[in-house]
Amino acid sequence: MATVTYDHASRIYPGTERPAVDALNLEVEDGEFLVLVGPSGCGKSTSLRMLAGLEDVNSGRILIGDRDVTDVQPKDRDIAMVFQNYALYPHMSVADNMGFALKIAGKPKAEIRQRVEEAAKILDLSEYLDRKPKALSGGQRQRVAMGRAIVRQPQVFLMDEPLSNLDAKLRVQTRTQIASLQRRLGVTTVYVTHDQTEALTMGDRICVLKDGVLQQVGTPRDMYDTPQNVFVAGFIGSPAMNLGSFKVADGKANLGGAHIPLTRTTLDAITDEDKGEITLGFRPEATHLVSEGTEASFGIRVNLVEELGSDAFVYGEMLDKEASEHISSGAGDAQVIVRVEPRNPPMKGDTVYIQIEDGQKHLFSSATGQRLPE
Amino acid sequence: MTLSGSVIDGQPPNQTTPTGPVPGPRRGRRRKWTLDRISFFIVFLGLPLALFLIFVINPFIQAGYYSLTNWSGFSPEQEFVGLQNFIDLAQDPRFTNAVGNSVVLGLVVPFVTLTIALIFAILITIGGAGRGQIRGVKGAGFYRVVSLFPYVIPGIAIGLIWRLILDPSSGLVNGVLTGLGLDQFESFAWLGNVTTAMPASIFVIVWGFVGFYMLLFIAAIKGIPAEIYEAARLDGAGRARMSWSITLPLIRDNVQTAYIYIGIMALDAYVYMQALNPQGGPDSSTLVMSQQLFRTAFAESKFGYASAMGVVIALVTLVFAALVFTVNRLAGGKDEGGAS
Repeated sequence: MATVTYDHASRIYPGTERPAVDALNLEVEDGEFLVLVGPSGCGKSTSLRMLAGLEDVNSGRILIGDRDVTDVQPKDRDIAMVFQNYALYPHMSVADNMGFALKIAGKPKAEIRQRVEEAAKILDLSEYLDRKPKALSGGQRQRVAMGRAIVRQPQVFLMDEPLSNLDAKLRVQTRTQIASLQRRLGVTTVYVTHDQTEALTMGDRICVLKDGVLQQVGTPRDMYDTPQNVFVAGFIGSPAMNLGSFKVADGKANLGGAHIPLTRTTLDAITDEDKGEITLGFRPEATHLVSEGTEASFGIRVNLVEELGSDAFVYGEMLDKEASEHISSGAGDAQVIVRVEPRNPPMKGDTVYIQIEDGQKHLFSSATGQRLPE
Repeated sequence: MTLSGSVIDGQPPNQTTPTGPVPGPRRGRRRKWTLDRISFFIVFLGLPLALFLIFVINPFIQAGYYSLTNWSGFSPEQEFVGLQNFIDLAQDPRFTNAVGNSVVLGLVVPFVTLTIALIFAILITIGGAGRGQIRGVKGAGFYRVVSLFPYVIPGIAIGLIWRLILDPSSGLVNGVLTGLGLDQFESFAWLGNVTTAMPASIFVIVWGFVGFYMLLFIAAIKGIPAEIYEAARLDGAGRARMSWSITLPLIRDNVQTAYIYIGIMALDAYVYMQALNPQGGPDSSTLVMSQQLFRTAFAESKFGYASAMGVVIALVTLVFAALVFTVNRLAGGKDEGGAS
């Protein structure tokens, strides 16, 4: 067990100017499940591979426990990794795959056998120990890859999108299995994914990256409730948050027919660089329908209603054509997504009036994208 | 015929299928012999088959027949002599010596060449720093290109170049060695000495082929996903362990193919041996089967006898290939497919 520390760690690929990972500062607690999440190309996998020693660190340091491992060979870092395509040794049986590291470490055969069987039992692989990876299903291969990591009893588990090759149903199952297994073993884990649902459901804490730069670290609740900038706000949550640039006037944020009151603190935090604009976000689930004319409400023309049984989502645009240009959501530009009561959804073509629930709006500086106080 | 017919239909005889509608007999779907179909068969099956039979199989059979005669090659008359040629061959010291030399080549050349090629290929692909991405040694691209140069040179040119380099009095090798102060190599005949002629010839062949097989192995190693090496590295495998436990098992099919390929080449080796030592070397120590065959046929005008040699060469080659397959199989190659 150990902590993991990134200390201004950077990676610049040869031939590129922009760092793939830019001065990453991150502390992972002992026994914590930390999820690195971000869109593709954000440097999350590179960060993980730097920790594994499979990628050079151009500047900064990486520590496991108190030990600086920046220049330590991967094999001496006492870590185990689960790869996206599992990277099982195709010519070895499941047992040999799982015991390979122990065999190299020169452990006695009986001990290897015992530890492999233990891990196989945990992962429900006991009857497949003599098979080759080729003769296993995708889910079984994934478990073998997990088993290979568990058998090592390493200080840190690294997982690089281990679920992305599974089908949707199995992915949800395995997701909970991995999370509960990690809690049971109590091994510090760094987990990479591009799927924010996976991040929210599995992580003790989530770390959002974009363009190699750390955006925000926090618990899933923090990330959802108080995203620190526009990017995190739009990335975490499904469907994504509606974000619009509103004009600030009369102590209100105005866009089309929407006039949303702002607090004194917020107004004071707006600088000249914002040019009198503010980015206001609200989650589809943080709204409710009201009758026309209610204070701080605005109208939306319904383009599409998506019914999921438990929820219904209205996709629409603001009544004011010009205003709708300034708002976007997970469904694209000029679209607003609103969750409504599934029993009685509006029809396509209807106009509905919505109000953002109290304390559920997110305000960001339009110049810097940073969260503004409320 | 009737029995096999019912097996093809997928049903054991004397048993009715209880479920499902019974489709019409498969045979009914056999298509008619249209002109289109016939011409297709003629062009894509008949023509190649005819060419193969006329130019590949027929000469084999012819050679097999000639090996049973005393045909001189330039006269119409020939006599059937049965296995006499083969009995003579077994007692012909020149030929048994040549077989011995060829077998030495067939054993040593593939092993040495492929071992060196494999080591170089591993260095160039995964031999680099143990930290960071999997990569080869510094300047790997340069070595890769340079090492292929010998393969671009025709075999006959390689033989002649090295004959000059190994020349006792004016050769580069002795020049360098005496220049280093090793005076005993002044006018040392590398190719004219019974102890060194064969090793020197083997060296030349190995020199000519290492680059090509290295390239072959590089391609094979590059086909292995990098993650497997990364996983092995995290599991604690060093370079030697990685080569032995990961690389070699995963490219064993390529190694087997290369082994058979270069083995057949080494069992022939006519061009190299003829260029280096046209007379078969000191005391016939570098004389190989193909050289002896050529001499028997065209210098001594004994085509029947030479054909018998050809048959023996073919047999030796087949035995060699069978040996390689068997060794690979015994070493666990058959498990490669995995269960089920």
